[in-house]
Amino acid sequence: MDSGVRYSNREKVDFVIVGSGAAGGVIAKELSTAGFSVVVLEQGPHLKAGDFKHDEWGYKHNGDLVWGKRKGHPQTFRKSIDEKPAEREVCFGYAHNVGGSSVHFSGNFWRFRPIDFNEASVLGPIAGTTFSDWPISYEDLEPFYTKVDWEVGVSGLQGSWDPPRSRDYPCKPMPAKSAGVLLERAGKALGYNPYPAPVAILSEPHNGRPGCIHCGFCNGFGCEVDAKSSSMASMIPLALSSGKCELRTLCTVSRINLDNAGKADEVVYWDGAGVEHSQKAHAVVVCANGAETPRLLLLSESARFPDGLANSSGMVGRNLMFNGWSSAEGIFDQPVNGFKSIPTTRVIHDFYSIDPSLGFYGGGGIDSRHPSDGLPMRSALDSGRFGGPRWGSEYKKLVREEFTHTAAFHGHSTSLPLASNTVTLDDNLKDKWGRAALCCTYKDHPDDIATAKFFQDRSVELLEAAGAKKINRTPVVEQESNVHLLGTCRMGDDPENSVVDRYNRSHDVSNLFMCDGSSLVTSGRGQPTMTIMALAFRAADFIIQASKRSEI
Amino acid sequence: MRNSSRILGRSCVVLTTPMVLSACKEVTNGASEFKIFSIDEGAEYAAIAARIVPSDESPGASEAGVVFFMDNVLSDGREPEYEILKEGLQNLKSICTERFGVTNFYSLNLSQQDQLLREIEGGEFFETVRYLTIAGMLSLPEYQGNKNNVGFQMLGFENRHAWGAPYGFYDIDYQLESE
Repeated sequence: MDSGVRYSNREKVDFVIVGSGAAGGVIAKELSTAGFSVVVLEQGPHLKAGDFKHDEWGYKHNGDLVWGKRKGHPQTFRKSIDEKPAEREVCFGYAHNVGGSSVHFSGNFWRFRPIDFNEASVLGPIAGTTFSDWPISYEDLEPFYTKVDWEVGVSGLQGSWDPPRSRDYPCKPMPAKSAGVLLERAGKALGYNPYPAPVAILSEPHNGRPGCIHCGFCNGFGCEVDAKSSSMASMIPLALSSGKCELRTLCTVSRINLDNAGKADEVVYWDGAGVEHSQKAHAVVVCANGAETPRLLLLSESARFPDGLANSSGMVGRNLMFNGWSSAEGIFDQPVNGFKSIPTTRVIHDFYSIDPSLGFYGGGGIDSRHPSDGLPMRSALDSGRFGGPRWGSEYKKLVREEFTHTAAFHGHSTSLPLASNTVTLDDNLKDKWGRAALCCTYKDHPDDIATAKFFQDRSVELLEAAGAKKINRTPVVEQESNVHLLGTCRMGDDPENSVVDRYNRSHDVSNLFMCDGSSLVTSGRGQPTMTIMALAFRAADFIIQASKRSEI
Repeated sequence: MRNSSRILGRSCVVLTTPMVLSACKEVTNGASEFKIFSIDEGAEYAAIAARIVPSDESPGASEAGVVFFMDNVLSDGREPEYEILKEGLQNLKSICTERFGVTNFYSLNLSQQDQLLREIEGGEFFETVRYLTIAGMLSLPEYQGNKNNVGFQMLGFENRHAWGAPYGFYDIDYQLESE
């Protein structure tokens, strides 16, 4: 029993929300506490703090949260439509549980900056891309970023490094780890402005949740004390205690049906036992993530929308962006112990926009991490970056040093939107429900690769300045999988080339909203979850006001 | 040091096969059993794992019970990997027979074992056994490997729920500066 309230399937509730992740959890809380009746359909279980363990095998190698092929959800990948899609364990990685990927993410929580919203105007168009301005500005979103800070819970240190903010962080910055100190000292030596990484992890008690106990298992794991500010920990409890929200878990949505007037009217789903149900609703909000949201729309084709629901623009599933990434790793004389506490504590944003005279578009940030996420198994599997044997007694000594004495400086950077990078349905492969599998078609733009390499060069310089005795570069390659699933139902004013309007409302169906990573017009610099949550608060605010005016 | 560790390694491996075999024999007493491995298979995988993560100054794959982890996880939706192991083991046994006149890898001396493993390193069979050996060292003990957390000792890792500053050497004297 997740909440006291139970709604009848045949009776219209005010809203059905598909997905309970970063966006769905926020919208469920906002709408239900505003007094609307809400049913949330979540395909995963309701795992809570007490259910999570330091189970690297289960979470990282057995798909316990991310599912994938082993759990009956295969995906396929190709670099272009000319290739035959190849079956993969996972190429879109997201957690299947209440709170979605906000449960297992790193907690790295950068706001976007003003330039992220109007960069296409500032720099001009980029040939072969769909690089565009957002229909909203940073100023439009700022109040909602602040709402995320305070309602969801963010730790950080206010300073000139921040984009403009109307209120300080609610929680002091997390304590610096050794890798963060190495980055900070090296960054200052090179004339940069390193600062405490803003994170969605509580450094001290806030909103009835405790501060972090620094166990070290954030990225890919659920927080065992609710210090990570997932929507599961921060929003869902408020939605459920409103008495207006029913959370139905293990419910997999198969399609959205329209009434004769062309309004979204009914959401069809299977329960955990495989029994099909449908829920009537006055309006539907799809927050299923940048892969699942377009899939659901494409699966919901009809005579009115033969190319997929709300897809008159043909943009559903297009403009997929992953964010660029690079890594350089260093081995140090003294213990760094990156396996303790949170993934990253310091960040450098001095290259938020790379000088265009270098000949390519891009920008990003560098943060300090452990080369293998501080994970014991991953570290031992990855061992050998600095040379040496991969097994035997010498290997055992090497593993120990690599686990305890290394730091990685990671570049997180832009991805350009391309109409050819897509989420589509693979009709040749079915998931356990018989639905067409997700197909990923993705090839990084050359500028994205150049940007990632630019950041790796800066990371190497920083590692040298930090005194690393050996340095390795993880090769920058074209990406074939990611956890950032962005852009596939992009926001815009023009219904011809965007899927949702500036308030996340479908251009085609007035009582249908899509809000999650799919709404993003540009990729930001590598940490999208803060912006997804801010968009969700903003969309919910609009939905509440419009509902009160009977405009939905 | 290196010499003594090799001697220790050797003595541990000498113990490995009987250890596994005796564990397997407990089957008949109902105390412990492989889910899918035959006794011979288990002894072979245990011997390979014991070369990948040998027992020396610190415990290795034998003490961690890696072979029981392998048997456990391969029985649970990992048929393709088990097929790789079975096929690879047949090939390995053929090489043992052709080259050394014995039917079992575990019967070879350590330098013969290491020589053979160096030859197959990078191949699908070796890499799958390596993957499962390391996973069996460093998974939670509930998966049947990493017995008594001995795998974590190899890394200098302690599976704790809370850590406090300083976390490493470089943050010991760190003072937060606002700007």
